[in-house]
Amino acid sequence: MLRRLSAGQVHLLLGLALAGAVVASASIGAFSFPPGRMLSYLMQAAGWMAPSPDDALDRNVFLTLRLPRVLLCGITGAVLGVSGTLMQGLFRNPIVEPGLAGTSSGAALGAALVFVLGGKSVMSFTHPLGSLAVPLVAFACAFAATLVVYKLSASFGKVNVFTLLLAGIAINAMCSAGTGFLSYIARDPQARNITFWNLGTFTTADWRGATVVAALFLACFLWSVRYGKALNALMLGEDEAAFLGIDPQRLILRLLVVNTLMVSVATAMVGVIAFVGLIVPHVLRMLKSSDYTFLIPGSALLGALLMELVDVLARLVIKPAELPIGIITALIGAPLFLWILLREQRAGHVELYG
Amino acid sequence: MVEVHGVSYRVGSTRILEDVSLRFRPGRFNVVVGPNGAGKSTLLRIVTGLLRPTAGEVHYDGRPVSAWPGDALARRRAVLSQHVELAFPLPAEDVVLMGRYPHFGGAPRAHDRAIVDRALDLVGMADKRAQSYPTLSGGEKQKVQLARVLAQIWNEDAPREPKTLFLDEPTASLDVHYTIHLLDVAKELLQRDCTVIAVLHDLNVAFQYADAVFVMEAGRVAAETDEPRSIERDLLERVFSVRARRVADPETGDGFWRFGLS
Repeated sequence: MLRRLSAGQVHLLLGLALAGAVVASASIGAFSFPPGRMLSYLMQAAGWMAPSPDDALDRNVFLTLRLPRVLLCGITGAVLGVSGTLMQGLFRNPIVEPGLAGTSSGAALGAALVFVLGGKSVMSFTHPLGSLAVPLVAFACAFAATLVVYKLSASFGKVNVFTLLLAGIAINAMCSAGTGFLSYIARDPQARNITFWNLGTFTTADWRGATVVAALFLACFLWSVRYGKALNALMLGEDEAAFLGIDPQRLILRLLVVNTLMVSVATAMVGVIAFVGLIVPHVLRMLKSSDYTFLIPGSALLGALLMELVDVLARLVIKPAELPIGIITALIGAPLFLWILLREQRAGHVELYG
Repeated sequence: MVEVHGVSYRVGSTRILEDVSLRFRPGRFNVVVGPNGAGKSTLLRIVTGLLRPTAGEVHYDGRPVSAWPGDALARRRAVLSQHVELAFPLPAEDVVLMGRYPHFGGAPRAHDRAIVDRALDLVGMADKRAQSYPTLSGGEKQKVQLARVLAQIWNEDAPREPKTLFLDEPTASLDVHYTIHLLDVAKELLQRDCTVIAVLHDLNVAFQYADAVFVMEAGRVAAETDEPRSIERDLLERVFSVRARRVADPETGDGFWRFGLS
């Protein structure tokens, strides 16, 4: 249905839907804010309107809790969507996502290491890193895990799907065992931290975290957009890409770094969120095209859109409490993914093992 | 002009190529033949710049291949491989457009689109341009790949620059119709200041199209000739370990080879 539209038109549609979802997500929740009130709070914050003293609490909730949460949520969705697209391009396979290739579980292990062993003491190994400890250690572990999975599954310029799956399973098992061990030896508040975080949550969002993730995402996104053509060429295989003037080894290494950077920092902030990276590129391929120059911006928009909707759901389902995000994405994502598989199989073009 | 100077390639102590020097004839159909394991594919990977030799150098227009920037080399030479699958479904025309990637930065220009159209037309796939690549037959896929490499070195782009088309056993999985079609299109290119360098397995097809033949044996060039008809029976029997007999076509008088095991 969207195939007749140009790539730019599909992006525009997704952008409009995202804008709507952002407004809805900002207004719905334990405190609800009608659009007029949100506008006036924004103008008060910008200094264009005199702040009114009688709704100081509401305004505070909106500006310091709701708004950074909406931003962090959208950016995280965009990170996961773009990451899924980049990884599927890198591994030349539609079943890859950060969860499968070890990136997420590596980042989780890194974060757990800091939670449990880092501590506040001057003796701890994370002391020199300061507040950057969680993202940095998460990045290091995630990168190592992803690199091992890629190196094992790629040989002679081709990616072997079965080795990829097996290597992913092994690395994920190792990382989860590590995380499990850490939460076993952890004292209570730390262990609760890990548990919450393994399910993904936006409740801890603040402006500082949101800006860090947003800035990093923007840099990585602008970088990856330039590589749409190269990822298309990589579809032909590493040799053919090289004949087209692309250095496949350099491209793959850069993709791994940029992708792991985005995912591990986002994961360090909000925890592990499954299935978004898998579903987003799939849906876009189904709707329009497998062309990466379309997929990369498209997956940022659709990822953000999906995540905003899921977050609204998380706030509404068991009001006034909140459901962890990861539970909802898996609960909705897994059946949706099965349905896509079924549909493609009926249409006779499942190319998972291509 | 593509020249190979004293190229050797070793993996550990195994010698795959041993001091190979040759000069491919510019503007001609150059064919490399040889038994399996003679080093043809390795030679092609080195000459196309994919693999670094352990010794020696390959020159394009007098400049070492390693000194060419990736994009410039891609505009200078293209390679058609035996069999290319696509990891994701894309329409045939998008695959052909990849041949233009070394020529434009952001979005394709009208000029690039026009070349894609003409390349598709030339290989007879214009009516299937919108069809998804994975749903095409093996022969059709190879035609699309041919259109892609043609678009990559399309000569009206820069007519004064000589181009080279490499064919790496491109007909290995094609039927006789597709084989002849592909090689005819390649032969046409010679009229447009393009050099063709092909690795072919079928000796009769090779000798039918070749202007120059290079016979590889155990990592060396055993013979090279500009006259494929002059290739000796003894040489073929020794290099390929077969019995060879030259037969004349009763209608045209053209000779062709019949092979059997000795």
